[in-house]
Amino acid sequence: MPAITVAPDPFTLVPYDASTIAQLTAEAAALVGFPDDVAVTLEVDEVLPHPLTGTFVAVGPEGLDIWMSGANFEDPKRPLKFQPELALSELVRALLRAADRLRPEFSGAPTDEDLTDRQRAAWDVWTEGRAHRLGVPATRPDRLLYHYRLHHGFNDVADEVFRRLWDADALTWPEIDEACAETDAADTRERPKKTALRKEQLRAPRPSA
Amino acid sequence: MRKIFPPNELARDERFVRTKIEDRVFDPRNAAMMERDLGSAKLEPSRPAAADRARSLMHGIFVGEIQALEGAGRTCFDFDEDDAPFALKLDMARQCWDESRHVEISVKLGEWMGSEIGEFTESTFLYEAACADDPVLRLCGVNRALEGLAIDVFNAMKEFGDVAGDPVLEFCEDWMLADEVTHVKMGSDWLRRLTEKDPERRNRALEFQRTVDKIFSLGGFRGESDENPVHLARKFRRMAGFDEAEMDDLVEISKQAQADAEAMAAAAAEGGGAYGA
Ligand SMILES: [Fe+2]
Ligand SMILES: [Fe+2]
Repeated sequence: MPAITVAPDPFTLVPYDASTIAQLTAEAAALVGFPDDVAVTLEVDEVLPHPLTGTFVAVGPEGLDIWMSGANFEDPKRPLKFQPELALSELVRALLRAADRLRPEFSGAPTDEDLTDRQRAAWDVWTEGRAHRLGVPATRPDRLLYHYRLHHGFNDVADEVFRRLWDADALTWPEIDEACAETDAADTRERPKKTALRKEQLRAPRPSA
Repeated sequence: MRKIFPPNELARDERFVRTKIEDRVFDPRNAAMMERDLGSAKLEPSRPAAADRARSLMHGIFVGEIQALEGAGRTCFDFDEDDAPFALKLDMARQCWDESRHVEISVKLGEWMGSEIGEFTESTFLYEAACADDPVLRLCGVNRALEGLAIDVFNAMKEFGDVAGDPVLEFCEDWMLADEVTHVKMGSDWLRRLTEKDPERRNRALEFQRTVDKIFSLGGFRGESDENPVHLARKFRRMAGFDEAEMDDLVEISKQAQADAEAMAAAAAEGGGAYGA
């Protein structure tokens, strides 16, 4: 089992328990087969409420850093309530993507912060498809499909690529990138002229704060 | 059969979970949230968590449709013809039919977006506004204030569908929007007719409308700045009988609601965190 650190401990704004989250992270690591010798540091941003979800993983010499919005663990029906099933599913997906990053086939992948929405959505489909096959609860293709279509387009080419990514057993970063190029070519939507606002903004403090 | 049906007895199955507006207003995270620079709050596909936010809003629309149906139905029944003329009841009956279709459309749209009935909470505030004991107050609180808000929300969702290239969402929102304009116009027309010779009653109803508008501005949910996820759909409101002064007033109400929410969050923060240390 990898060394796991969860912050904050204790939580002050939401009734989450750091040791429960650490236990679920260990369970997720075992399910994914995450290497024991990579230390995991998980920071949960307890400020963000549902539906402001978001996850970033970064692998470095010190180990794996995961940043996750508290909303990813929150029961959508009961504000502030921790939902263990949802948390396990989110952690499995984060660890699957992190495990990908440890493989040489992903050495060319941009950091989570630098992935385009299209690239991230494609990678998320493959990740969730694998989590689904691992028997992880709270993985739903219909749910993810809408998120994916927002970034890849509402058309048959995008849907076909979705099925391929969902069902894939092994992929490399260039293959995910090629899938993105394929949907990009079929996407006739007007692209936003301004730079898309990215998920990392969830973390940013107001300039004056 | 009893008149004025209490909100807590509305028929719902086990999928529905109720929430109170206060739960959101007094969420211990609010003050810290206001310190964040989340950029434009406008609902756009490129914004963080866009799919989840759109689904959550769609579910809010869905439960609003159920309550609009329940409210219009009650207005057909709760008053005799001295208080509510037959032609008004006929309009309310037509509205029931529209809202029934909206409920069905919303359920299907929710499925299309990967959501399901009861995925999010339900607040029964819309129905509560439909429990006023004067039909003119109901028409102002529900048809003008809340269905006016529905115009703004449907317009925002329609634009979201357009930008995302989601033809299903855009088309459905457009159709529902057309009906809501009619419902708001019914409110405007009946307010004028029923209070023609009773300015005091008209003022009371408009005051009730302002109160509902303020509560439902939910600390800046609707307005005309970048910080508001939903913008005022002035063109459609004009078609529904709103004049410019009323719409300017609404923007002011929204600003006030936002300032109030910030003050409440700051006061709550002074009391320290809600859990743990
Ligand atoms: Fe409606
Ligand atoms: Fe309506």
